[in-house]
Amino acid sequence: MHLHLTDHEKKLLSGHMGRLKQVAMENIVKFAEVVGAGRLCQVTKAHLYCGAHNYLKVCGSHDFHRIFTTMQLARPGEVIPFTEIDGGCFAQSDVSVSDFHQYESLGQSKAVFDENKHFLVMARQAGVAVVGTCAPYLTGWLPVAGEHFVSTESSVTIVGNSLWGARGNSDGIEAAFWSAICGRTPEFGLHLAENRGGTHHFKIEANLVELPDWDLLGKAIGRVLPANAVPVLTGDFPKPDFNHLRQFLTSLAISSNAQLCHIVGLTPEAPTIEAAFKNVAPQGEIRITNKDLSEAYELISSPGEGPVDLVSLGCPHYDLSQIKAVAALLEGRRVHPGVKLMIWAPLSIKYLAEVNGLAQIIEKAGGAIYAGSCPTTVGPCLLDPLRGLVFDSFKMAFSAKNMFSRPVYFGGPAQSLAAAEAGCWREEFRWQAK
Amino acid sequence: MAGEMIIKGRGVMPGVVEGEAVVCPGGLSAYGGLDLDSGVITDFENVNHGRTIKNAILILPSSKGSNGWSSSFTAAKVAGAAPAAWAFSKVDSSVGVAVVTVGIPAVVDFPSDSDPCLKINTGDRVRLDGTLGTLTVIKKK
Repeated sequence: MHLHLTDHEKKLLSGHMGRLKQVAMENIVKFAEVVGAGRLCQVTKAHLYCGAHNYLKVCGSHDFHRIFTTMQLARPGEVIPFTEIDGGCFAQSDVSVSDFHQYESLGQSKAVFDENKHFLVMARQAGVAVVGTCAPYLTGWLPVAGEHFVSTESSVTIVGNSLWGARGNSDGIEAAFWSAICGRTPEFGLHLAENRGGTHHFKIEANLVELPDWDLLGKAIGRVLPANAVPVLTGDFPKPDFNHLRQFLTSLAISSNAQLCHIVGLTPEAPTIEAAFKNVAPQGEIRITNKDLSEAYELISSPGEGPVDLVSLGCPHYDLSQIKAVAALLEGRRVHPGVKLMIWAPLSIKYLAEVNGLAQIIEKAGGAIYAGSCPTTVGPCLLDPLRGLVFDSFKMAFSAKNMFSRPVYFGGPAQSLAAAEAGCWREEFRWQAK
Repeated sequence: MAGEMIIKGRGVMPGVVEGEAVVCPGGLSAYGGLDLDSGVITDFENVNHGRTIKNAILILPSSKGSNGWSSSFTAAKVAGAAPAAWAFSKVDSSVGVAVVTVGIPAVVDFPSDSDPCLKINTGDRVRLDGTLGTLTVIKKK
């Protein structure tokens, strides 16, 4: 398919608006050719991976612009300063490699903390708002129906598409920067209305009551979902709230390449099953039962019992209602002296937790609220010395299992806090089908 | 050549490379699931866990998992551990980005009756032509 460019896009490509925008545009044009797009569309919201992330070390440099040019612009022979983004695009940062304020409690060196802070300042000077959360919608970053966005979080891509009818593809860390810089992305995939119909019908017979049930549902569907499919869910389950849905969509996205999921009668593009499938017959019908949730659980939570050094809640980052629930569970209890209890949230939500006395309850119990990163993004400096980990998120447990050889346990918030109190994981904390 | 199987998709990055295939029919969760310096697959669920993709002809259905998927291959390329070429049953946006950033010969979008993830096995010797859009099995393992 021949790619049509507007006069403005041709001007960006010509270099008239500077080398940075030219290279971003060259990459977007090549990206469009690879995926077979006929034209580009304007991106007005971007969520970007800023900071001195661990994977950038392959560059062997501490120079911000050199690293950016090599790793994000894919131009290893040049140095093209990252100094601006498109005026029509609001961009904010995803998690970085550090908490906003703390590094010692994360086993991190001051040098890494300082470098990360420097990289965030550089991004801010280029026009990116430093926010540091994987849940940008909790801070007002909300693409509306039909709005084209890019995100470096698979969970944000699938939430934006599924729950609001906004339009985004998974793309990648690099392409999110290109789009923010030149304001364009290929009009391809879910940016086009005709591609947003469901492909596979999932009949949910599993009992979905609590957060971990929805979390496991994401894995149960993701592991059997064909590539490039759009699942459509039907079933007689209690109506989920936003936190159930974003937890489910997060684990679905990490377990497959799904970027959109319709739930009939609940999500905006699925008022009926016919609308969800755009009147096209499903390519497959799959039943999901409690047995499938149980199998998903066995895949993710290490067997047996054992000592635990870290219990971490908040992947995706917690909202204020979740922090309130944790504070209520922790009131009057004490975390085991050998355990780090972390609750991860956006910085603004952490501040509101302090204003509302919730942070103080959590601290009195021996825990702490963190902001700006998460355990697997902080990485080996935090995790390597530990003996056992507990997470209330399938995605976090899955990510940890790829980088941590000792036990990783998955439980709901109440069970995770019980493990924090006990200093160990017990059989009684294991998830059970309802 | 007599006896060679050839399947055809859409060439999206030119170049001809011969090498050993590494095939992951269930996909590869590359972000966090790939050692960047060695190219070894650390994705604990992966059928090729412990095998390196360095200099291989990597064959995948599409991308999988995190939106950081492409960045793992970009980083592996910088570290000298990227595949030599790759093929995808169907392109998706993350594949599109990685094809651009890594720059190795690439073929995508095969017809469903010539899915490379089903026709080719890990260990087969293959030739990928990113200009013609072909994958040739020179020798079955």
